[in-house]
Amino acid sequence: MLQELLLDIPLTIMATGALVGTAATLVGVFLVLRGNSMLSDAISHSIVFGIVLVWLLTRQQSGPVQILGAALAGVLTVFLTELLARTRRVKDDAAIGLVFPALFSTGVLLLNVYARDIHLDVHAVLLGEIGFVWLDTVTVASLDVPRALVWMAAAAAANGAFVVLFFKELKLSTFDRDLAAALGFAPAALSYALLTLTSTTAVAAFDAVGAVLFIAFVIVPPSAAYLLTDRLTHMLAIGIAISVASSVLGYHAAVLLDVSIGGMMAVVTGLFLLAAFLFGPRYGVVARSWKLLGQRRVNESRLLALYLHDRGGGPQGAVAAALRDRLRWDAGKTAAVIRRSRRLGLVAPEGEVLRLTEQGRRAALELLEPWNAG
Amino acid sequence: MTAPHPGAPETAVHVEDLTVGYLGRPVLWDIDLDVPSGVMAAVVGPNGAGKSTLIKTILGLVKPTAGHVAIHGAPYRRQRRRVAYVPQRSSVDWDFPTTALDVVTMGRYGHLGWLRRPGRDERERAARALEEVGMAGLADRQISQLSGGQQQRVFLARALVQEAEVYLLDEPMAGVDATTERAIVALLHRLRDAGRTVVAVHHDLHTVQEYFDWMAILNVRVVAQGPVAQVYTRENLRKAYGGQVSLLPHGTGER
Amino acid sequence: MSGLLAFLADHTIRNVVAGATLLGVVSGVLGSFAVLRRQSLLGDTLSHAALPGICLGFLIAGTRDLPSILAGALATSVLAALAMLALTRWSRLKTDAGLGISLSVFFALGVVLLTYIQGTGAAGQGGLDSFLFGQAAAMLRSDLWIMAGLTGFSVLLVAALWKEFKLVAFDPVFAATLGLPVAVLEATLTAAIALAVVVGLQMVGVVLMAAMVIAPAVAARQWTKRLGPMVMLAAAFGMASGVAGALASAGARGLATGPLIVLAASAIVLVSILLAPGRGVLWGALRRRRDRRALGESQVLATLHALTTHHGDPDYLSEQGMIDTYHGLATRGTLARLRAGGWVRAVRHLPHEGRHWELTPAGRERARRILADPRAEAGTEPGIDRDGGGA
Repeated sequence: MLQELLLDIPLTIMATGALVGTAATLVGVFLVLRGNSMLSDAISHSIVFGIVLVWLLTRQQSGPVQILGAALAGVLTVFLTELLARTRRVKDDAAIGLVFPALFSTGVLLLNVYARDIHLDVHAVLLGEIGFVWLDTVTVASLDVPRALVWMAAAAAANGAFVVLFFKELKLSTFDRDLAAALGFAPAALSYALLTLTSTTAVAAFDAVGAVLFIAFVIVPPSAAYLLTDRLTHMLAIGIAISVASSVLGYHAAVLLDVSIGGMMAVVTGLFLLAAFLFGPRYGVVARSWKLLGQRRVNESRLLALYLHDRGGGPQGAVAAALRDRLRWDAGKTAAVIRRSRRLGLVAPEGEVLRLTEQGRRAALELLEPWNAG
Repeated sequence: MTAPHPGAPETAVHVEDLTVGYLGRPVLWDIDLDVPSGVMAAVVGPNGAGKSTLIKTILGLVKPTAGHVAIHGAPYRRQRRRVAYVPQRSSVDWDFPTTALDVVTMGRYGHLGWLRRPGRDERERAARALEEVGMAGLADRQISQLSGGQQQRVFLARALVQEAEVYLLDEPMAGVDATTERAIVALLHRLRDAGRTVVAVHHDLHTVQEYFDWMAILNVRVVAQGPVAQVYTRENLRKAYGGQVSLLPHGTGER
Repeated sequence: MSGLLAFLADHTIRNVVAGATLLGVVSGVLGSFAVLRRQSLLGDTLSHAALPGICLGFLIAGTRDLPSILAGALATSVLAALAMLALTRWSRLKTDAGLGISLSVFFALGVVLLTYIQGTGAAGQGGLDSFLFGQAAAMLRSDLWIMAGLTGFSVLLVAALWKEFKLVAFDPVFAATLGLPVAVLEATLTAAIALAVVVGLQMVGVVLMAAMVIAPAVAARQWTKRLGPMVMLAAAFGMASGVAGALASAGARGLATGPLIVLAASAIVLVSILLAPGRGVLWGALRRRRDRRALGESQVLATLHALTTHHGDPDYLSEQGMIDTYHGLATRGTLARLRAGGWVRAVRHLPHEGRHWELTPAGRERARRILADPRAEAGTEPGIDRDGGGA
């Protein structure tokens, strides 16, 4: 029964995608919040160098030693980037863009020279072959399991354990690095641990989705989650949910259109992000414009209050004409502002005359004497 | 657009019925301001009073909700060459590959117009301006190697080569050493004595009487404007600074 | 010599060298502006985002027609830049996330389109892969003319709008007060950078284009303190690395051109960061070492002087071990340097073991000077020229 599930091709592919997404999101959330998510770009390209080097040394492509060895190249990238930025001759972003192409180039050239015949071709490096993960299996507890599935499960578990164990420290060092250092939490060590895990995950995910699509899983689901919530735990949960959903939907879309499965999964994460960007309940573009519109309207009413405060009340028609003249509001807008201000209780009609209420007077003063507003 | 009321030509900066809003919230409300030609004017007011916004609106960097601005009787768009601006010092990348002389030369770009490159004339003017701010020896320095005060003088020199009639400065004395402050004030006085108009956002109430001869007190609205001798009163300052009145200098006239 | 000429007469090699030259010029010139405007990684995003455009261009033209492919690449690159701008302006995402999202999602879309094209089995699709990693040798003469046209256009654009671009990159607020259309100029610059990226794709490919935008500019910045020379130098460095990489790959067939060009550029960066006069990191380190040594010498001299006055004997012989104890570290090297300078003398002081030291008259004089004003020697040449260098 279990064996059948493990060799069910669509299921393995989706599960691999979901695990890549989960493992990537677990570290990606912190990278995005720290504002150095482009390090994942550098890392995922640089590990090509590591993978080639490890292959040349051990003639093996997979295995725990190989994965960790290759991951060191990612850590090296981070180290070199920081070294370069510390000279203060190069800005942070430029440093990233100098280091990883150099390592990537070295990797490609090593491949050119020593390993023309190996299966590690550069196209798979960028694009991955998630559609074929089921071909390569290993035996675990007398079950045949796709190798990629095993490694990704291990990576996701390792990242999960790290996040759970160091949740408090990660949170503190992400939001207030100086305080974390002052409290003795060694934010630099934590940061390197995080980037080592990112690097290891990148290597493990490499065969499945390739370098560039891995970046999508690290950056896009956490960013989408960031637009939906303010709480770190929720951000992790939403990010993982988006990753899993993208894997399932991406797989089906890819099969339907007969296109790259990994590519489609990443495209779907992009669609989730777009949705969060536009329709997020609090930070979405629509919600924000709605809120801004509300603010604008309140402030327009305050402008009316200010006007009446300065000039005293007057016949509605005259006030409306003066506002049209002064603020270039058209008749419709002026009428709407007066209507809304009445509803807010800032102004009240006394017969034909529009007067400021006590509440309106306070609203005007709040603008003119902000120090009293408290 | 309503037709501009230019104000009298001897008015250097004329602001009329100006309202500037952020999301509809008034940052400046119903400002009327007439800075006469040939004065050295301070714009003072508490934090958030809209001082920088006023300068930026005069320069057309911020679009007003209502009202209009005239420089010597015409809108800013048509008077660009008669106005020079010294921004707050923090706004540029100091590691940019450019020298003091080079930055000052940028002040001539407005006069050059599109496509024309600065030549000998521009560089000579720039060198003279650097001399005038006491920086002749540092013309070839990369700008990150200048002290804060020297950087401020470079920006001042850039405004000088604009050969404007109205100088707008946003907190020119903020964060500079005493020597630089004296040098800046002396230079601004020379400009005024040569008939130019200087309008500076100023944060230090203690030095207003010493440095300036005209002032506007701002807090969302104009609280008072006119010659310092008439406007610098405890009553006016209290109207603008409210509860912070204890911060005001002692000996302020109780007129 | 004739061998070299024959080598250069080879059509393919000539094409590659010419292409690499063009690539170097265009990426050096526009990369300078990208780096100075803190948009270094924009090149990376733009180049990855070109992939869907390449595929669309191919799909629309139906063949591997370079103008349509480049037009498509330019279009999606610019679109990705706009997407990144929209994400950072209208949401709370920061620049790095905006860049990463644009890069990865547009590239994923490109991968999807690429596999779609492969699925249709259209003719000539094999050439599309060459844009991923660059395939300089596959470049045609006509491709070269297109590259030359685009490079010429970009360089002319920068020359014509030189002082405007410079002002917008340095001080956009001041530019706006002069009445310059800052937003339009910034958009033009970004589009020009996209153009440079597109020009380079065929030579070095999507991944390595990032380096071509950044490396020549960073290297050039080290050698000069003015924008004009920086842009010229960046073009020269870009050209040099392009030609070096192209020739190396032609000489050793089988080595990919793109990575060789990037490594050449990286080597130039390394040398520049370490050795450029003024800004070179090495000179800074040497200066700090010199200061540290001078300080150490002053301290040891002062100690010797203090010991002699303490014992009331101007010819007092101080034992090596005692001086070490005083300073809490080995002073042998410092003393050796002082001895070479004639400030101290080494003497044996039998029957005591070990080396003993005494001040020479000159050393005594210097020690007195140091004690009178400790700062006179310590940090020699304070604040000297971090940025001197050529002009």
